[in-house]
Amino acid sequence: MAAPAQNSPSDEYEPVKNLDQQTIACVRACESEAAAKTASDYEHIVWAYGVIWSLFAIYGVMLWRRGSRQAIEVADLQRRLSS
Amino acid sequence: MKKILPIAFLGAAALIFPVSVKTIFLDTPIENQMGTVQKIFYFHVPLAWIMMLLAVVCGVAAGIQLRRDSKRAEAVSIAAAELVLVTGLGVLITGPIWGHATWGKAWTWDARQVSTGLLWLIFAAYVLVRHYGAAGSERLAAALAIFGAIDVPVIYYAVKIWKTTHPSNDVAGSLPASMWAALWPALIALLLTSIAVLLIRVQQELTDVTLDEAWVDLDDAGANKLEPTPAPTSGSGDA
Repeated sequence: MAAPAQNSPSDEYEPVKNLDQQTIACVRACESEAAAKTASDYEHIVWAYGVIWSLFAIYGVMLWRRGSRQAIEVADLQRRLSS
Repeated sequence: MKKILPIAFLGAAALIFPVSVKTIFLDTPIENQMGTVQKIFYFHVPLAWIMMLLAVVCGVAAGIQLRRDSKRAEAVSIAAAELVLVTGLGVLITGPIWGHATWGKAWTWDARQVSTGLLWLIFAAYVLVRHYGAAGSERLAAALAIFGAIDVPVIYYAVKIWKTTHPSNDVAGSLPASMWAALWPALIALLLTSIAVLLIRVQQELTDVTLDEAWVDLDDAGANKLEPTPAPTSGSGDA
């Protein structure tokens, strides 16, 4: 028969010391609130993602406007050359 | 080909982008310490890599422009510098958003933040000199671009040389496979978009050069037409 596994100290149950029930409940509530916020804090990501693609979109519009201006200039040049 | 390549890159980026969003938001595990906000990493870091790559491209192109007086290199340098501003602004905004959530402070004046801010300012100066500088200022601008490219290794080694709040360079290397699976699509989508935009901007700059030359030729031709033809010389001696 195999010998029982040796439990490491971290696996053992430890009673809470020097804390009353009210403080324990308060700490647990804070911890669970922080954990919930950490797992669902999408506000920062949405902002960050939005900023990146907005910057590319704004630059894209600037390029498109520049391209349109060039097309007008090319047409003007062609008109001058043909006259 | 000149028009097809950027469209092909943008099309590929548009296909990869939804995959990237799905992987980052739905498939990748939430990081243990930082929580969901760590997902900013998947586009903040690729954008920073692209910014540094473009700064080097701009510096090298500016060097070629100075040495060989190449119009194509000059166009690449201008396009890359403008994209350094776009990607740099993205890095400088997403970083503090992440820092605000994890460090409790958006800007900590750490060496990597400061050196990245410095890079952005150098390339802003480059773009301003190119835009408003007098004739001959393109050489000064090229020197600025080379100076900016030298800042790239400073940004990379900032976390090794100085004590900073930024994570070390080894973070990406030690990522688990599930996190690399989210980093790759984001990197490829952003890189393809940046290359496509770079190619479009280079083409526009070359068109500008061609148009300028065409206008000058047209003006010269018009001036030659208006100039009075010299009177034919007669051998009779009118004096």
